Amino acid sequence: MTITREAIAVPDSTRPTIALLRELRRGRARKRAGDAAFWIYVIVLAVALYGGEQIAAAFRALRHPPPAGAGAAHALHAAPYGTAALALVVLLVLVRDAQWRGPVTLPQPTVDWLLGTPVDRARLLRPRFRLSAMATTLAGAAVGIVPAATLVGFGLGGHTTGSAARLIGAGMASTALLFALGTGLACLVERYRASWRWLRGASQAALAAAAVFAGMAAWAAVGRPPAVAATVVAWSGPWGWAWQGMVGLAGGAAPLWPLATALLGVAALGAVAAGHRAAAGVPGIALRDRAATMGAMSAAVLNMDTRGVANAYGRAAVRRRASFRLRPPRRRELVLLWRDLLAVARTPARLAGAVALALLAAGILAAAGHRGQASLLPVGCALSLGYLAAAWLCEGARLDAEDVRRSEQLPFRFASLAWWHGAVPCLVLLVVAGVPVAVASVVAGEPRFLLLLAVTVPLLVAGALVNVFRGEFSPDMFAGVDTPYGNTAAIKIIFWSAWGPVLAVVPMTALLSSALGTPHGGALARAVVIGGGLAAGLWAYAARRAARLRA
Amino acid sequence: MAPANPPPLLTLTGVSRLYGERAALSPVDLAVAPGRCVAVMGANGSGKSTLLRIAAGRDTATAGQVVYAGRGLTEDDPVIRAEVAVVGDMVSAYPDLTVREHLQLVAVAHGAGRGRDGLVDRALAECRLAGHAGALPGSLSSGQQQALHLAAMLVRPRRLIVLDEPEQRLDPAARRWLAGLLSAEKRAGAALLVATHHVELAAAVADHVLVLRDGVVVGEGAPDAVLAVIQ
Repeated sequence: MTITREAIAVPDSTRPTIALLRELRRGRARKRAGDAAFWIYVIVLAVALYGGEQIAAAFRALRHPPPAGAGAAHALHAAPYGTAALALVVLLVLVRDAQWRGPVTLPQPTVDWLLGTPVDRARLLRPRFRLSAMATTLAGAAVGIVPAATLVGFGLGGHTTGSAARLIGAGMASTALLFALGTGLACLVERYRASWRWLRGASQAALAAAAVFAGMAAWAAVGRPPAVAATVVAWSGPWGWAWQGMVGLAGGAAPLWPLATALLGVAALGAVAAGHRAAAGVPGIALRDRAATMGAMSAAVLNMDTRGVANAYGRAAVRRRASFRLRPPRRRELVLLWRDLLAVARTPARLAGAVALALLAAGILAAAGHRGQASLLPVGCALSLGYLAAAWLCEGARLDAEDVRRSEQLPFRFASLAWWHGAVPCLVLLVVAGVPVAVASVVAGEPRFLLLLAVTVPLLVAGALVNVFRGEFSPDMFAGVDTPYGNTAAIKIIFWSAWGPVLAVVPMTALLSSALGTPHGGALARAVVIGGGLAAGLWAYAARRAARLRA
Repeated sequence: MAPANPPPLLTLTGVSRLYGERAALSPVDLAVAPGRCVAVMGANGSGKSTLLRIAAGRDTATAGQVVYAGRGLTEDDPVIRAEVAVVGDMVSAYPDLTVREHLQLVAVAHGAGRGRDGLVDRALAECRLAGHAGALPGSLSSGQQQALHLAAMLVRPRRLIVLDEPEQRLDPAARRWLAGLLSAEKRAGAALLVATHHVELAAAVADHVLVLRDGVVVGEGAPDAVLAVIQ
């Protein structure tokens, strides 16, 4: 029957196939509906428990909007530029998402069992696009509440419930349209791979424009940029059209906001229609890649495996990897340093991000120390950023921790790897942050800055290593223990995820803010001695955790 | 029976594949005719799967020409999907559909319509899955899951069958059964392209063997001669 020497006429089996699939699954529909209802219940419960009070407060504020405060005028001047920058970034994220995920993705079983059959691709793929477009548009409407509510919070947009509701409605509508536009464009990017080259250039231009808009927003908040600049931004594209409704209703200068919103609507509709048409032609190769990525990512999310999520993204995303080479050392003591330097140098984006975070942290600390009154908040923020930089640089350790078999051929005890892998992050951070801190020390005549840096960097790296060697997430953590104050599951999960930064950042924040806030040597000595001891202790703790991983 | 020297159904001419700067496949020429089987052999990472993905229209060659029955080969072409059966890269199954239901789905998707149940029953019996027809894929052993993928091939039309290491996860008895199954497909006129590590399977089924090393063809010819060298 099936093997023919002549060409086979392709049957149109789409309708019976989809009907059969529905029929086969009818019996399980109740279970699926039950599962969906359970998850909706969990989400509603979580939102009510953790955000119920804030939601109620927001509704109260909406019923009685506050009067315009001192910052209202500044906010209104900055809003056009700030929202345009945000809109541009959102659009860019949505469109670039198509390079690894995209609005059209199929589950792995559908890819494996139906993609290779003559079933009409349009019938498989277009419903997926419609679902994506609908979900993204709804998400956009929800996100749109935030900027509009911020303007209401500043007392802009009138004092009645109706005026505040109109402003929030405008925010929801324009953001929903922006998200719909992004989804339509993303589908075109997913369909036409040739557009990726163009997108790379456009992304850089868009990021530069967003940075300029953000700078203009800062300028507008404190000064008066030329009025023509706002007009140029307003009509420069969908990112400009998107905010005009909100700003117009908030009392700002956007007299043609209905036209801008209409333009955005037309653009969104056009993009969604084009995306819908293009969805049917998304290549099979792209669908297979995306299904594999989403499968790996879902498994990682279910296991609370953030590293797995990053790995799945890294395999799918278009990321340039530097082909950096470094001659291996002759001494075995240097081999892990060499290996970690390669890991850092071959992912320049990671290195650049860590450097930027470290510089930002050093800048915040320098500013806090310069004023002589280092309060806990800026110091805590700076140390958190420094911790993130250290964590990004611990790539070599992470590679060994995620699969302990990788280092089996090395002549080192697994526990000792925690010590070895800390060297490169310490070195990079000391060099990167050391230069500006040294300059600040010389200018201010305060050598204590350098001393504090020498203690803080190893401590942050040790904290990062504690987290790196934490092991796999255990589902038992969801169970927790019932106490009179509630179940401990949430606390356990939070500490499992953030034990390293808690141990490193919290005590050092207190020590550092005290050392920076007073010229007395006692606080400095305390910070150096306790901080140094803490770093050594955390490093030993990381090594112990590593030993447990191998056991 | 196939004619003595039928014209090729699938022809690859000077096909190569680069991943970045790395050549996974250097220019390869290959032709598979109806009723014939070409076996591709080589160590892990030698380029077998890359070659098969290109031959199945699931990857695009960096250079060279791939022609199937006078047309370009891409999985996005419904005719290719209707005629080219691929076994080996299936990694998952619908967790909520039984073995029988999976086969019904494939049969119907290929237009089997009313005849689907007979086809499915025959495939289940042929692949020794009749006793597991009502089982969910998660409860099958890895060998039985491989048999399910082979059964899916049997319930659909196929002029060209591309198999990537179909012997994987099969025990020796099942491998002998597989050799018989593929020989029967060949006798019925299908063109077969098989990547395998298993010399006995290649000896039993192939008419022509191609050996790859680091993406380069390092030997090809009649199975007796090539396999003797490999062994």
